Amino acid sequence: MNDADWLAALDHELTLRGVSAAERAEAVLEAETHLADTGPGAAARDLFGPADRYADDLARAAGAPGHRAAPGVTEAETCLLRADSVAKAYRGRPALRPSSLAVAPGQVVALVGPNGAGKSTLLRLLAGLEQPDAGSVDRRVAAGWVPQAGGLDPYLRPVEHVELFGVARGLSRADARREGGRLAAHLAWDLAGAPVAGRLSGGTAQKLRMVLALVGSPRLLLADEPYQGLDADSTRRFWDLLWSVCEAGAGAVVSSHDPQVLRRADTVLELEPAAEGAR
Amino acid sequence: MNDDAGRPAPPTAPPELSREWIRGVLEPCLLALVATGDSYGYELAGRLGSAGLGPVPGGSLYPALTRLEKQGLVSSRWRAGDGGPGRKYYRLTAAGRHQLAADAERWDSFAAAVAGLLRGAATR
Repeated sequence: MNDADWLAALDHELTLRGVSAAERAEAVLEAETHLADTGPGAAARDLFGPADRYADDLARAAGAPGHRAAPGVTEAETCLLRADSVAKAYRGRPALRPSSLAVAPGQVVALVGPNGAGKSTLLRLLAGLEQPDAGSVDRRVAAGWVPQAGGLDPYLRPVEHVELFGVARGLSRADARREGGRLAAHLAWDLAGAPVAGRLSGGTAQKLRMVLALVGSPRLLLADEPYQGLDADSTRRFWDLLWSVCEAGAGAVVSSHDPQVLRRADTVLELEPAAEGAR
Repeated sequence: MNDDAGRPAPPTAPPELSREWIRGVLEPCLLALVATGDSYGYELAGRLGSAGLGPVPGGSLYPALTRLEKQGLVSSRWRAGDGGPGRKYYRLTAAGRHQLAADAERWDSFAAAVAGLLRGAATR
């Protein structure tokens, strides 16, 4: 990684940690000056360490929100979504132990846990795709849904998907196309020229699912392993996009195996295996 | 770090242990340096080196400066460099001056206690 890349990575990592634009610019410029003063032969990584760890230290030193404990949300009226002790079993086999969570505007909740803990089940309950056996879900706003797989028509082009989803959320076709194109550009993808969904690679199909979840600006995003199959750059872009949506007042629940989600989310809900012997 | 056997490490490359020590005293040392005049990160790193503390990497230096600034012990302002990018200069605040005096006093008794222990053990 050359110094320019390292500095770009530092800026990005500081963004992820909620460091303000002004403080970010100063931190990057200060590192850049230090490198220039040191002269050639010294790599940024040698002087400052890995960009993400340096960003951790700086953000902690600056008291950035990414390093503050997430505010405990209990006030019912400020929540976008609440689930109280929801549980689910399939054919008598427990799929989800009683679980509770609340999502406030601006908040990203991460769902973590081993396979079989019920991450997908809980998300389906939150999305209203299924009913819980016990407990209750109180969802006050429309939700965008990023499924792990499926959800696409193999014979429709991405731009047609975007029109369908956008119109369903009250946009005109033209607005839907415009917004879809803008969201796709955030993920470094040119949606307008893309072929029918059946011919997209796994990673690109996943970008389309993200765009469809976000078109029409729902106040809540529910995403099941949303960046499976995406490369590191696309994953970063996904988080940048998610954070900008949440800064504008939306909330999100994201399930993931990726340990990085732990430091990118505001709150973490860890699910335990629901059934004996489940892995 | 990985020196040939028998050859003492040069003073500019302190072993791991002293690096741990430096982390503990970096902030008061930075206060002491900016007390003698406004300075910027790279220059402060050089002065820590010439004071015999070895090279302090930027990865430790700037978070420490950020902490000092957040605590109001130093303030900062950007000054244009000659031709190059601007530099962020740090200046001791009144609160920093108080902190420095208190640190210096506490350090004396702490260092004396450690020195007493270590020397006692070495001469036993």
